[in-house]
Amino acid sequence: MSGSDGRGGGRRARHSGEAFWWALFSAGGVMAALFVPAFVVVTGFLLPAGDPSVAAARAEAFGQAVGCWPVKIALLGVIALSLFHCAHRIRHTLMDFGLRRYSGLLKVPCYGGALAASLWAAWVLWGIAP
Amino acid sequence: MSKEQALESAEHAGSGVRGAASPEATAERTITLELFRYHPETDSEPRFQSYEVPYNEDWVVLDAINWIKDHVDGTVTHRWSCRMGVCGSCGMMVNGEPVLTCAAFLKSYFPFAVRVEPLVNFPVERDLVVSMDGFMEKLEAVKPYMIRDDVNDTSGGEFRQSPAELAKYKQFSMCINCMLCYAACPVVGHEEEFLGPAALALGHRYNKDSRDQGFAERMDVMLSDEAMWGCTFVGECSVVCPKHVDPAGAIQQAKAMGAQEYFKRFVMPKGAGA
Repeated sequence: MSGSDGRGGGRRARHSGEAFWWALFSAGGVMAALFVPAFVVVTGFLLPAGDPSVAAARAEAFGQAVGCWPVKIALLGVIALSLFHCAHRIRHTLMDFGLRRYSGLLKVPCYGGALAASLWAAWVLWGIAP
Repeated sequence: MSKEQALESAEHAGSGVRGAASPEATAERTITLELFRYHPETDSEPRFQSYEVPYNEDWVVLDAINWIKDHVDGTVTHRWSCRMGVCGSCGMMVNGEPVLTCAAFLKSYFPFAVRVEPLVNFPVERDLVVSMDGFMEKLEAVKPYMIRDDVNDTSGGEFRQSPAELAKYKQFSMCINCMLCYAACPVVGHEEEFLGPAALALGHRYNKDSRDQGFAERMDVMLSDEAMWGCTFVGECSVVCPKHVDPAGAIQQAKAMGAQEYFKRFVMPKGAGA
């Protein structure tokens, strides 16, 4: 029996590179929809809430946590995937606005921009002392 | 056609129209239908023609168009068949929305005029009839049928399937090819290569069928550049679908399957997934 698991004939389907960009877009969508709002709530509202001295202690603890490598890597994942999600959506929006014939060319500024911003985020995270 | 003429004709309306023609029911009110008219052989450009139609609460827009064709203007051209939301033939734009005209009741629009146009995103053949050629080519491209080497070998009995296996694709098998989703989809309108909601949903329906072995053949087509990836998940296809197929959901599932296949190439040897 084959079907959705069998894939048929032992042969793989031919792919365009769009699957790769869509996978980044899809993963970034989860990050942007779930984790980014959570970060906004935590860092923007919960950490500074209440007594200023307690809030300062919380912020310091949070800063120390960000210095840990597992947290840095997780943050980079959230940031980079969200950026690629954004880049993919911008590229398709530009295509919808009439630049469809340049869909290949648009990958350079869109995904290149996401990559550059991700590298910058990595550099900033790298510089945070544990 | 004047209101008086419409009412007089209504009194003589034949049996071809549902719930037709009780003079008492129709003698008081009429509704205006503005029909898109275009005969490519003679008209330089499309126009709208207004008709006064007797208003009957039980009538759908298709009944009104049939009434016009039978009693007022036999040159009006439209496509229809079952009048019960099964055949998918009578899809048209009604006041800008793609609907099955056999399911669009006049009472939803009364007392305002109803503007009827052919489905957008398709070339017009004549009046309210669109050309289905491009759609049929796309449908054919995804091979919407069972593919397996032993399809004619019945020596082992039927190809059995559990209820859970059936549930994986049943929803997507309800498509009646009415093409409303193509009229609702903005990507269909400007991306020639995009296969469109119905074709992709039907391709996915067979990919999810446990008896099928045509995944790779089908995905060769579905995974090419903009054929499926052009979908930006607007979701209007699922909104207008009269059979609740949810083509947008099917496309997202197919994309996820396609992405899995893409990355499997790097972690599994060729053919290992078969």
